[in-house]
Amino acid sequence: MNMDPFSFIVAILVYVAVLVFISGMTFKIIVWARSPGMKINLGMYPKPKNGFIRFFKILKDSFIFPQTLEVDRWMWVFAMLFHFALFVALFGHFRLVKEFTFVSNVIGIDNLNTLGAVGGGTVGITMLIALVYYLFRRFASPYKDISVPEDFLLILLLLGIAGLGVHMRFFGTVHTEDYREYFQSIMRFKPAFNKALAQSQTRWVLSWHVLFVNLFVIYFPFSKLVHVIGTFFTNKIRSE
Amino acid sequence: MLDSEKKELMIQTLKNKVDKQILYYLDICARCAICRDACHQYKITKDPKYIPAYRAELIRRLYKKYFSVLGRMFPNIYEAKEVDDEFLLSELYQVAYACTGCRRCMYYCPFSIDTLQILSVAKAILLSAGMGNQILQELSDAAIAKGENIGIFKDIFVKMLKESEPEIREKIKDKNAEIPIDKKNADVLYVALSGMHSILPAAIIFNKAKINWTLSMFEAENYGYFLGDSEKAKTIADRIVKEAERLNVKEVVITECGHAYRVINFFYEAWTGQAPPFKVTALIDAISRYAKEGLIEVNKNSSSEIVTYHDPCQVGRNAGFFDEPRYLINSITDNFRELTPNRTKSWCCGGGGGLVAIPEMDEFRIKTGEIKANQIKEVQAGIVISTCENCRLQINSLNERYELNIKVKSMMEFVAENLKV
Ligand code: SF4
Ligand code: SF4
Repeated sequence: MNMDPFSFIVAILVYVAVLVFISGMTFKIIVWARSPGMKINLGMYPKPKNGFIRFFKILKDSFIFPQTLEVDRWMWVFAMLFHFALFVALFGHFRLVKEFTFVSNVIGIDNLNTLGAVGGGTVGITMLIALVYYLFRRFASPYKDISVPEDFLLILLLLGIAGLGVHMRFFGTVHTEDYREYFQSIMRFKPAFNKALAQSQTRWVLSWHVLFVNLFVIYFPFSKLVHVIGTFFTNKIRSE
Repeated sequence: MLDSEKKELMIQTLKNKVDKQILYYLDICARCAICRDACHQYKITKDPKYIPAYRAELIRRLYKKYFSVLGRMFPNIYEAKEVDDEFLLSELYQVAYACTGCRRCMYYCPFSIDTLQILSVAKAILLSAGMGNQILQELSDAAIAKGENIGIFKDIFVKMLKESEPEIREKIKDKNAEIPIDKKNADVLYVALSGMHSILPAAIIFNKAKINWTLSMFEAENYGYFLGDSEKAKTIADRIVKEAERLNVKEVVITECGHAYRVINFFYEAWTGQAPPFKVTALIDAISRYAKEGLIEVNKNSSSEIVTYHDPCQVGRNAGFFDEPRYLINSITDNFRELTPNRTKSWCCGGGGGLVAIPEMDEFRIKTGEIKANQIKEVQAGIVISTCENCRLQINSLNERYELNIKVKSMMEFVAENLKV
């Protein structure tokens, strides 16, 4: 094991985070499912005419929420940017699970790396910009009056995650393959740094990045972030 | 009651009132404050406590304190508060009884969070602490008392009705026109408000359309609902349900009053667990049906006065009647102009939620009605039609304060005036 104690603890914490996340989300959904049902439908008119239209309306309301654009344009724009960037960034990380051979076979590995660098950098910066907007908005009146420390905590965690992520994209000499080895060592329950990582200062950036992700993932099921699932249920209520 | 018992009761009330829907809302609101400018009360006052999310946040702070592990361990992260926190309770009182229940915030919220529903929890907690709104309480009790002593009211009521019958006969040139009450096996039981203004025009229309109808002895409005006391609200609604059952009517038509229709059509089922055993119709729906079926006919009005329509939140967004009023207005006048925004995005007039009945809210509601007043000014309307009594009272106040020079009418009035006889 060529890992410093800090990095090792962070890596072990990954298992804890995954466990807490899965059981936390399960717990949340059970609590929701077992809560006393609503007695009547109090949706909003005009209501969709049939189940088919309703289904698409719920998807539209949950993913695009077009009415928000009319009342708070900038919040809508930044919320869209943030969530889209987050989704792409998350998807990009699957390269660490398994190389996107379906892409590299077509455009070649060099082009894929360039795509990763440019695309990853772009979504990272986009996330950072959106988060800075989120943060400054919370400092401004009247938003500060409705904000609670939880809101700042989550933004700071995300800023840490995205900031360190972007740092790894733009600086240092560690390559995707090295990160993949690290990631897969954790997946094999044998967390370790390969030589490149062990010798590079970037390992600190990496470990802090992973630490923040761990904390974020652990807190996720108990925070307002469950809106990721809840929005479908509440938008369904709107349409019934 | 001891303070500790009262506190326990408040906590229990909070627990009992949080159903699935409210739990979702408490868990997922992102405090993004997109709902901010959807609320006319915040938009005008710029007072953060009127932001819909802030109102809901007050309940969330209580909920976190007692029913969330993290909230109990780290109350500061959520600003969780004790249920007897005086400052919180006083803010809760202000924002819960100020909310007009327009649900415009729900329309714009990306998660469709229904602040009105969350505030129904707030009202229940306030009531359990003995902090319900006094006026609404008195009005509800009066309505309940009337239900128990209907004999005393009946004679005066019948006399008043008899006195108005000649006017109807004159108007539609029908010697047999009448305002029946207590008529068994009628097709329709019409539930009006207190005051002939909501009885006469409807009576003209029913008689003209040759409907087999009877008038309810009770008023449609339900202050128990605004008070947030579902027991009282149920008792008040029950007067009408019992009457309809006793008279064996097929259909209950609720006058142009937004919340009254919703109470009988939606909430009654929520409170009692069963839907009423008859069809519930809003008067606006009935009138437009009679017109479409040819039971009544209207004259095209030659006046050049501009007519506009205010979509009452409880009739439009919250009950689904958008086309009916427009169909009727357009068949009477060529000078109909829409307010912008309208229909499901319509601005609240500022008078809903029982506000028009609470004198201490007068200044607040007239001030926060400014948006509606400006909308009306913009279209240079001479006549404003609205299908809700609360809206009409409020728009009349706005007319005075903002010098709009308008006439405010109900749809039944407008139709009765322009009825072909
Ligand atoms: S718009 Fe919805 S999610 Fe956002 S603060 Fe308002 S109620 Fe909460
Ligand atoms: S229901 Fe209407 S009045 Fe109440 S908080 Fe929402 S927008 Fe404001």
